[in-house]
Amino acid sequence: MVKREKAERLADEELMPLIAAKDPEAFEVFFDRHGGAAYSLAYRIVGERTGAEDVVQEAFISIWRSGARFDRARGSVRAWTLSIVRNRAIDALRSRAGKAPKLTFDDDLVLEQRPSDDSTEDEAMRHETAGEVRGALGTLPGDQAKVIELAYFGGFSHSEIAGMLGVPLGTVKGRMRLGLEKIRGELAEGLA
Amino acid sequence: MNEMNNGHERWSEELAAYMLGALEPAELAAFEQHLEGCERCRAEARWLAPALQAVPESVERIEPPTELRTRLMAEVRGDAAAAGTDGAADSAGAAGEQAEAELHVGGARSGGGRRRRLGDLWRGEGPHRLRPAIGLAALALVVAAIAGYAVGNGGSSSPNGGGQLTVESGHAPGVVATMVREGQGGSLHLRNVRPIPDGRVLEAWVQRGGKVTPVRALFVPDREGRATTTVADMDGVETVMVTVEPAGGTAAPTSEPIVTMPIPG
Repeated sequence: MVKREKAERLADEELMPLIAAKDPEAFEVFFDRHGGAAYSLAYRIVGERTGAEDVVQEAFISIWRSGARFDRARGSVRAWTLSIVRNRAIDALRSRAGKAPKLTFDDDLVLEQRPSDDSTEDEAMRHETAGEVRGALGTLPGDQAKVIELAYFGGFSHSEIAGMLGVPLGTVKGRMRLGLEKIRGELAEGLA
Repeated sequence: MNEMNNGHERWSEELAAYMLGALEPAELAAFEQHLEGCERCRAEARWLAPALQAVPESVERIEPPTELRTRLMAEVRGDAAAAGTDGAADSAGAAGEQAEAELHVGGARSGGGRRRRLGDLWRGEGPHRLRPAIGLAALALVVAAIAGYAVGNGGSSSPNGGGQLTVESGHAPGVVATMVREGQGGSLHLRNVRPIPDGRVLEAWVQRGGKVTPVRALFVPDREGRATTTVADMDGVETVMVTVEPAGGTAAPTSEPIVTMPIPG
């Protein structure tokens, strides 16, 4: 078992083989690095703390028990981890009838319960960018940010989003594409 | 050339939706098939990947509760200890073997001394007594390993503070319970728990001096038969038990325990 101090000096990619070998110290460092982002993402999607905790716990335990099957050819450890968290959170969201994803981060964390028969249009409105949109999404025009949020944080298909927003499917596809391209352009500019 | 571009436009339009997980299942299969043979789309996907990765990073950061980390690491250390990769297993192994050997004295596991102790325990005084029949069933308990576990303040622990005790319940075949010491308390990990009926939960109990009290940490097994709960205060605990109870829990056990774990004093 690697010592905590040594594990802290290792890159994410170097921690993965140790985690695969069931080293709890390496896993603890891994969680300390990415647990905050994972929890924030889960909370953003499921909209309440207990559900977010469950999602994060399940996601990290799945990483631990599956032997950390990370493939560096497919991106960074962090991106891989957050994609697992995102998928778990969307699964939790879909299995939970009657609760809407949370859109904003209220200081008092007052959460609203949504009746299960709310229309998808209402659901779309809850998902849209009424809440804080920061970072990459904050640079986008509202209609592009909206479709990306509905897809990524809401787990909706482009067909569903087109129906919710009352726009043609091609428009949704186009906004998604333009949105990602714009974010990519901003990132490229930041590196220049 | 134009025909080729026009034919490809459809896939190009769908790339972002694909990356955002927004394609319908049938579309997804077709797109992935296309992607396998299309370097142009793969190159575009590689170019856009950082943009996709920026999306989850854009959410407002909130700190996870410390209990989440505690629970997670307790489960991880429980697994590691069971797999012998926690660094404590080697040094604790000899003690575990000795303890197990002691329980074999008299020809059978859960031999005389242990049997009397358990029998006394189940007949103990207190507001919540378990029926003698339950106590007899609990005698089927098999102590599989004791690895440096200690209760109270005087016990030894692994460098991680993760002393552990693992028992196999003979009463609920296949169920394995591991208690991992975490500071003053501990986390209880069950494996191979069969699904419980709707409206029922698992409830943990501790016994001190003949008195059985609920831990008030209700839990349920996941799809893989794993269930975890915490015991905030292990001080003076002689036995930890788990029963299946109505949702919301009960003040006293209403069913036979599926796990009974005597805690070495």
